[in-house]
Amino acid sequence: MLNKSYKNSASLALLPAHGVPPSCANPAIKIADLTVAFGGVPVLHGVDLIVGKGEAVGVVGESGCGKSVTWRAVLDLLPRSAEVSGEAWLGDFDLVGARSSVLDRVRGGRIAMIFQDPAGALNPVHRIGAQIAEALRLHRGLTGPAARAETRRLLDQVGIADAASRVNAYPHELSGGQNQRVMIAIALAGRPELLVADEPTTALDATVQAQILLLLKKIQQDTGMALVMISHDLAAVAAICDRVCVMYAGRIVEAGSTHTLLTAPEHPYTRDLIGAIPPSCGPRIRLTAIAGAPPQRHLPPGCAYSPRCRDAVAACAVARPQARQVSAGHSVHCLKAAAER
Amino acid sequence: MTLLRLESVSRRFPVGSSILGSRKYLAAVDGVSLNVEAGQTTGIVGESGCGKSTTGRIALGLDSPDSGRVLFQGSLLPRIGSKEWRSQRRQMQLVFQDTLGALDRRMTVDALIAEPLEIHAVGDAASRRQRVWELLQAVGLGDDQHMLYPHQLSGGQRQRVVLARALAPKPSLLVCDEPVSALDVSVQAQIINLLVDLQRELGLGILFISHDLRIVRHVSDRIVVMYLGRVVEQGRADVIIDHPAHPYTQALVSAMPRLPGGFDQYVPLSGEPPSATDRPSGCPFNSRCPVAQDICRQSLPELLPLDSKREVACHRVRDR
Repeated sequence: MLNKSYKNSASLALLPAHGVPPSCANPAIKIADLTVAFGGVPVLHGVDLIVGKGEAVGVVGESGCGKSVTWRAVLDLLPRSAEVSGEAWLGDFDLVGARSSVLDRVRGGRIAMIFQDPAGALNPVHRIGAQIAEALRLHRGLTGPAARAETRRLLDQVGIADAASRVNAYPHELSGGQNQRVMIAIALAGRPELLVADEPTTALDATVQAQILLLLKKIQQDTGMALVMISHDLAAVAAICDRVCVMYAGRIVEAGSTHTLLTAPEHPYTRDLIGAIPPSCGPRIRLTAIAGAPPQRHLPPGCAYSPRCRDAVAACAVARPQARQVSAGHSVHCLKAAAER
Repeated sequence: MTLLRLESVSRRFPVGSSILGSRKYLAAVDGVSLNVEAGQTTGIVGESGCGKSTTGRIALGLDSPDSGRVLFQGSLLPRIGSKEWRSQRRQMQLVFQDTLGALDRRMTVDALIAEPLEIHAVGDAASRRQRVWELLQAVGLGDDQHMLYPHQLSGGQRQRVVLARALAPKPSLLVCDEPVSALDVSVQAQIINLLVDLQRELGLGILFISHDLRIVRHVSDRIVVMYLGRVVEQGRADVIIDHPAHPYTQALVSAMPRLPGGFDQYVPLSGEPPSATDRPSGCPFNSRCPVAQDICRQSLPELLPLDSKREVACHRVRDR
């Protein structure tokens, strides 16, 4: 199932064709100027993001930077107190403000989502086979033998050995990694165009983390589904995504192909995030510790990162940097990066 | 100088009822030997349920082993709860993962840091106040935080308070059990840097327990790899990471996402760790091992020196 033939994204990114922004003419989802506020306090300040069909995009940043809120806002999964505005185009209709009857067909059908805690997302009193069959009935109208056959096929696809007997297991009889595989099977039941994985492996052990990430990558490549992976671990995201968006304080501050972002990061925040990860080979160097914490409630007037940025100059605290194209598909919001050219 | 020494320590827990038939036991720790040198870090790495936290508790004397010995500064750990044990506890401190659970939420930061000084009756009130200020400075907490309560602090700040409490009685050994696992990557880096600095300044010996090999590699001089209660490989950190010998260590090393590179060196490892209650006979790793043979299913491999820098428990390691 998981074999050496995997090409991870960083090596794929070395291919020349990969620097070009992928299929933006043919997006799976196009988010434009999405803002979210809770009780008048804005938490998302205009996110623009396009995920191409069949593309794997990573979203990284610290806790509270708006990674999860972005996707929960798109799927209308936020509490009712949230004020959402902007656009999220799935094909030719806008999900923001759409009626819940319309969204019910999108959620789990065209866009599926998996979460960090699979045991919490599964129903503990139902067998996993029944939970997958429920998704098949809701999204594809399958019942009876057809649903049972498809359930077994899905369990095979997500790498659960002995699927025929495992359909009768309850979530507590499975390990965390197997439960996450079941969650992925349920997500795949509706044949989604887009799968949003929110910290899918944070709660899992190291060897299982690699298995699940590579499984997601394999499914994305096999089915042509688009994949969005949300994580605070840039290394895990970079391992399976073609493109990475770095979020800070409710905005995307840098976006580009994985290879570009890792080898030539322009935003100081991206550089600091890379420096904060203990390297897995080579000499042990001192880690980059980003002083302070992301701003809460009120943003500084200029660049939101300027109070923590080691490269900040006076101008950074005054004017908010606009997006600048460094190269095709690589954009950055930083005054300094713009000035250096 | 060897600060802490575990000699073939074992600990098992009963599971299920003893009324029906024979009682089953879960071997949480099975014949573990390791050393922590003064001023150095020994890292224990392994997946959940491999016995790394139980080993840490035994090292501190919070749990007593069924067999084997724990030596601290060359002498046996006193009986738990005895007067000698209490006075020795000053020397050995624990840092937890769950900081909100480890801190009394009705106490302010400076009261929390002063508490261990009061328990161990260190100095008079004035000198204790002075020491609290020193500790606040040492762990990087500012003037505006000392009167706050735990819930008003961020996860990283709470971990600093836990560290300050642990350092208060001037210990020589720190056992850190997953100290940064609940933190964001950027905050992880802050705490790891702080730990490395404090170790250099204070000459602490550290037993660092984590499931994240990247972090263990970063802080450790020696690494102990555990699987289902047993040590499968231990030795110098650079040797273990750069040239892992045991198939399980090889899988763990390959499962670290590289930056850049991702999983390009990933060696697929099937399945997940079996439960410690039904450990396979022979080598505990044989059910997942890509090179297992009959001998691996029949006899338990001993931890033997492979070269001068490490020990490995594997029947097949010399065949390859």
